[in-house]
Amino acid sequence: MNNILEVNGLTKKFDTFSLDNVSFSLREGCITGFIGINGSGKTTTIKSILGLILKDAGNIKFRGKEIERTEREFKNHLGIVLDEGYFYENITIKEMKSIIAPAYSTWDETVFKKNLERFRLQSNQKISTLSKGMRMKFAIALAISHHADLLIMDEPTSGLDPLVRSELMDILLEFMKEDGKSVFFSSHITSDLDKVADMLILIDKGAIVLTEEKEVLLDTHGFVKGDNKLLNEHTRKLFLKLHETKYGFEGVTDKKAVVRQQMNGVLIERPTIENIMLGYVRR
Amino acid sequence: MNIIIANVSDPPIYQQIKDQIKDAILHGELTQGELLPSIRTLANDLRVSVLTTRRVYDELEAEGFIVSKAGKGSFVAAENLELLRESRRHIVEVKLTEAWKAARSLGICKKELYSMMDILFEEGEEE
Amino acid sequence: MLISLVKKDFILVKKYLILMFIFAAGAPVFIYSKVNQGGVGFIVFTLTALLTIYSLFNSVTAMEYKYKAPALLCTTPYTRNSIIKAKYLFILMLFVCCFIIYTIVAVLIPTSMQLLSISTFGISLLLATLYFSIIIPVQYKFGYEKTKYISFLIIFIIPFALPTIIKFLQTHNINLKITLPFPQIIQNLLPCIIAVIIGLISMRVTMNIYSKKDL
Repeated sequence: MNNILEVNGLTKKFDTFSLDNVSFSLREGCITGFIGINGSGKTTTIKSILGLILKDAGNIKFRGKEIERTEREFKNHLGIVLDEGYFYENITIKEMKSIIAPAYSTWDETVFKKNLERFRLQSNQKISTLSKGMRMKFAIALAISHHADLLIMDEPTSGLDPLVRSELMDILLEFMKEDGKSVFFSSHITSDLDKVADMLILIDKGAIVLTEEKEVLLDTHGFVKGDNKLLNEHTRKLFLKLHETKYGFEGVTDKKAVVRQQMNGVLIERPTIENIMLGYVRR
Repeated sequence: MNIIIANVSDPPIYQQIKDQIKDAILHGELTQGELLPSIRTLANDLRVSVLTTRRVYDELEAEGFIVSKAGKGSFVAAENLELLRESRRHIVEVKLTEAWKAARSLGICKKELYSMMDILFEEGEEE
Repeated sequence: MLISLVKKDFILVKKYLILMFIFAAGAPVFIYSKVNQGGVGFIVFTLTALLTIYSLFNSVTAMEYKYKAPALLCTTPYTRNSIIKAKYLFILMLFVCCFIIYTIVAVLIPTSMQLLSISTFGISLLLATLYFSIIIPVQYKFGYEKTKYISFLIIFIIPFALPTIIKFLQTHNINLKITLPFPQIIQNLLPCIIAVIIGLISMRVTMNIYSKKDL
């Protein structure tokens, strides 16, 4: 399997926060979810990849080639959706499109019109009159109407209601049906990723914590519930995160077999991505 | 064909899918030569990752249950009687072992077990 | 590519364009009707052009700051450099528009409105270029928020300052006509050439500033 994007040693220092040697790869043909809590570095990483933020160190390769010299060509293959849209609000959809479209050599007007129809948007609508969900759909319409190979999205679903979020996930799955497409999107709404992600990358405090196939993560970790009496010095160490109440405990473990062995009668369930994320982030 | 993924922690998701497809083939729900859903369609429908469904299909192919033709998709393999018999035997073997263990721990002897089996077959034939 | 970016600025101020062009046409006429002095042609034009261009440019800059759309533009194949080049081109085109409007009005209305010669057009261009060549890099360096008051202030002062300076020069008989050992044509074109050079330098500086900015 090829890597459509490789990030190596990305470093960026701000006053109060820094990206620390961030490295990861995106597999082609996969939807990779980039998860982390607010302020963990997701947006900084994405903006650094896109050249909006100037990195202090590191390089990025698209299909094996460094993008430093071929940035325009690289961006031609990208579809971008940023949180908050970043559109001029006082103009219409058609006008905004007329600003963006000429940038791409592979812009396909037919595809764009079809997408507008599909998303029930009208060319002459002013962007300021669009709801958040419609704005996101417009952003996606722009992103997928020039035969982009890699869709990069920063928190595309934040602030959207569950119905729209579900629609957006379906749009992504539809996009993936064509060969050679990949998606990279950051989110702290992990339930969306439960549905569509193939790979997960977790970032916390500016550093990558894990990169793994979603199902492998869900298979190797367990969400454990049981009697408090079973917790002792040894068994506590088995858990990434533990939550105790007077009625019992629940916790996330990556050592299911050991837990089953040492703690009799506990209930081990398949965790959600949220469980896992909370298990790994450090306050 | 039904594929239902249980949310219990074991066995792994890909194992559950693989077993259920295997069952469908062994029980004839999927006939030989039948076209299976594409890796992506299956993934989307089951809400699992394509990496998982790809692994399922890869392993099923390695075990001889399906064949994949580039550009055309994956098909249920022509009936390899020997292989199927082996697998069918294996499934029954597992069940029999369970029954034997239960019988032993509950103190039921071999003779009683055999007569229980006879009754089952008789009742089965009456249906 | 550049054209689309310049078009973008025109699209953004679509609503104000007509208004500003009416102003560009009407203001000189109005001023001429009040003032009966000759030789004020290029001052009137310069002032009108500066005010017109400033208003439109400021509107665009305010919008870019408010909506942060340049960030999205930078994620597309549009380069940061072409975004800057387009900005300068936009201002240049507005200047040319103002000149055309002024000339048309001057031709149509046979009053004492003076047509501009190449050298006075050049000096106008030079003055406008000087203003924007300083304002644009400053705005990109320090941000729109902080500098909007300064640019507004300068625009406000110019209508008062410029005539005063001219009168001062006239009363003291300071002759600015430097005779250089070039043919007349070149001398007439000199202000234009200098303006272009200053504009290009400013553009380079701005591109440099913008390339180092985090969006």
